[in-house]
Amino acid sequence: MKVWNVFVNELRRIFKDPGVTVIFIVATLAYPLIYKAVYWNEQINDVPVAVVDLSDSPESRAFLHKWNASPDVRLVCSCASMNEAEQLLRDQKVHGIIYFPRDFENQLADPLGQAHISLYCDMSSFLYMKAVYLSCNQVMLESMRNIQIDRYEQMGMDKEFAWALVQDAPYSETALFTPTGGYGSFLIPAVLVLILHQTLLFGICMLGGTAREENLDQYSFRSLIGRAGAYFTLYYALAVILLGLLPRLFDIPHLGAFDDILLFIAPYLLAVIFFSMCVSVFIRNRESGLVLLISTSLIFLFMAGISWPKEMIPRPWLYMSYLIPYTWGAHGFIHINSMGASLIHTNGFTASAAPEFVSLWILAAAYFLLACLLFYIRRRRKPCPSPA
Amino acid sequence: MKIIFQNIWRVLLRELKMMFARPLYLFASVGVMLLSTFFFLTLMRGGSAEKMPVAVVDLDRTTISRRLIHEMQATPSVDIQLVTNSYPEAREAMQQGRVYGIFVIPSDFYRDLVDFKRPQMDFYVTNAYTVGGNTAYKQMLTMVNLTSGAFQREVLRKKGLPDDVIMHRIQPLTIEGHMVANPWGNYSVYLVSTILPGILGLICLMLTIFAIGFELKARTSHAWLRAAGGNYTVAMIGKLIPYTVIYLVLGIGCYIILFRFAGFPVYGSHARLLFGLVLFVFAMEALGIVMIGLLPTLRDALSIGALYSMLGFSLSGFTYPQMAMLPPVKALSYLEPLRHYYLIYVNEALMAAPAVNSLPNALALTAFMLAALCVAPRLHRALVYMNYPLK
Repeated sequence: MKVWNVFVNELRRIFKDPGVTVIFIVATLAYPLIYKAVYWNEQINDVPVAVVDLSDSPESRAFLHKWNASPDVRLVCSCASMNEAEQLLRDQKVHGIIYFPRDFENQLADPLGQAHISLYCDMSSFLYMKAVYLSCNQVMLESMRNIQIDRYEQMGMDKEFAWALVQDAPYSETALFTPTGGYGSFLIPAVLVLILHQTLLFGICMLGGTAREENLDQYSFRSLIGRAGAYFTLYYALAVILLGLLPRLFDIPHLGAFDDILLFIAPYLLAVIFFSMCVSVFIRNRESGLVLLISTSLIFLFMAGISWPKEMIPRPWLYMSYLIPYTWGAHGFIHINSMGASLIHTNGFTASAAPEFVSLWILAAAYFLLACLLFYIRRRRKPCPSPA
Repeated sequence: MKIIFQNIWRVLLRELKMMFARPLYLFASVGVMLLSTFFFLTLMRGGSAEKMPVAVVDLDRTTISRRLIHEMQATPSVDIQLVTNSYPEAREAMQQGRVYGIFVIPSDFYRDLVDFKRPQMDFYVTNAYTVGGNTAYKQMLTMVNLTSGAFQREVLRKKGLPDDVIMHRIQPLTIEGHMVANPWGNYSVYLVSTILPGILGLICLMLTIFAIGFELKARTSHAWLRAAGGNYTVAMIGKLIPYTVIYLVLGIGCYIILFRFAGFPVYGSHARLLFGLVLFVFAMEALGIVMIGLLPTLRDALSIGALYSMLGFSLSGFTYPQMAMLPPVKALSYLEPLRHYYLIYVNEALMAAPAVNSLPNALALTAFMLAALCVAPRLHRALVYMNYPLK
């Protein structure tokens, strides 16, 4: 069969096989929508918090008032004792407790005193901790300024000087790239790249397993090229939808140039396709790939250093992650799409996403050669007497 | 009665023969679980994200700005990877994923400072990576405080005040953070304690679907029913015994590794947590039966099962809290057994809550098992008539 025939034939096989169509088309298009629905609210707002205020002072009330005004938390309950508040935390009615000791007011009034606030965070999710702890810290910094000014004035400094002294270093903070700063903006781009990776992997393994069950000739060089061409053509269209259009439709950050994304898709898909074809050589049945490889979705996601920062990944796993196309694809896409990195060296800007782009071409070439080798070995081996 | 046990025994032997004829069964269960356990425990050995690399852009280039940078570098909770004079360079480092935050010391910082002109510090953090960006943000606040504190200290020292007195004036208010049930702020505690059981659940679901569905695909369901004396219940019990034993061994093994060897804390009852895990394993197995019962074609059931159980990781709420989800999504999350396991885990391991708090979740997991009984007539018919497409 000529390469062209294999190409056409493979496309026909994909669309005639409902199992593959479900993975290639339905899952690839439905999953992004589901994930967008799950992570619809970008921010975790109004995390319920309990208050234990033993000082019951104007100062503590002012602090609480300020804190309650921040969007992150909502003070839902004022408790007489820590026991009561802990009970609420145990029942998951609140996800944080703020505690003012009895001497809070006196310590603040004493020019040499240091007042303490205790903050208890529910650690069952990172995002609770973030909302409760960071917002409380901000209120604390603000309150501290006012106290400092009072104290300097008491020392006999004049008000203006005290102000300047305390405010010597005002600051402005900016969240770069993703203004809403939400969890969805962070995770959805990474998930889109993963969906392409995993649906290709499962689909190719299913097609390979089926061909093996039916004893089709699938290990010729022409078959390798023709089939890879078919997957590439189909997935290029899907990838343009997922990586190019969906971030715009979903209203998540899309700072990258569209051309850069179109360019970047090519080596990513090639690397994933040849990687998957290498894996598919070891799959005997159409369904066994899915059963064996389903948990790789989580492993690839974590190994790539997306949810878990790459700085904290032990060396051996870090090096291993370099062999997985997803690692480069995810970081490259996040850098281009979410942070506006570019592929091409233009006026003043260097090609900051180039390392991922080049690595993907190298991986694509390496997996292509490996696929050729594995196919060659398979071809030489006599067909096994029908594996069950 | 005796004949029933004989038939169960016969089905069981037949199943064991099939299991050992193909490496897939043991690979997909024991192999995958061992690999995942090894992977996640070694990956997250570090545990807490304490500091992330940040860049400092020094536009002032005076002795005071350099001294400030030096002081920041000496602070253990701050990790300065790059000190540069150009903002574009720092921005590029961020785009390449090398730093998560940029701290800018403005030009004329020193001059403005001595003139009391209140120079403004700017800092930038990336939100493209949640954990990295937030940790960098925390560091930035520390750095601002350092700057402000350092300056006040200099002024007060010139006024001749001793250091301990200065300290309390600079820092009149402190927050003591307490991380409940996880004093080290170690994310791996709740991540690994949910992901590994989640993967076990994935295995239970997929392998159960595969074990039953393969009979339909290979057209062997008649032989299977014959071995069971034509009794559906006997056929199912005989077939599922070996898998259930594998799942239980993996579940208990996973439990011992997590909460004994790896030392993840359990502040509440070990017995109840382990019971919750066992219920979860059974619920996932039952869900597998429901899937193949509703969709008696191997690949349909597997594809849907895969989609459904992967969603469980997001819907369980261990990364993105359920309280932030939209109401329909929230409702959907209760259909994921992993959500119920996660809640039992939080109640038992982290909160040491009374048993009654976990009771609704235990009942929900039991309901999944009852659902498996509901599909029995449909699955039985499929086994008898084999009237579904093969692929």
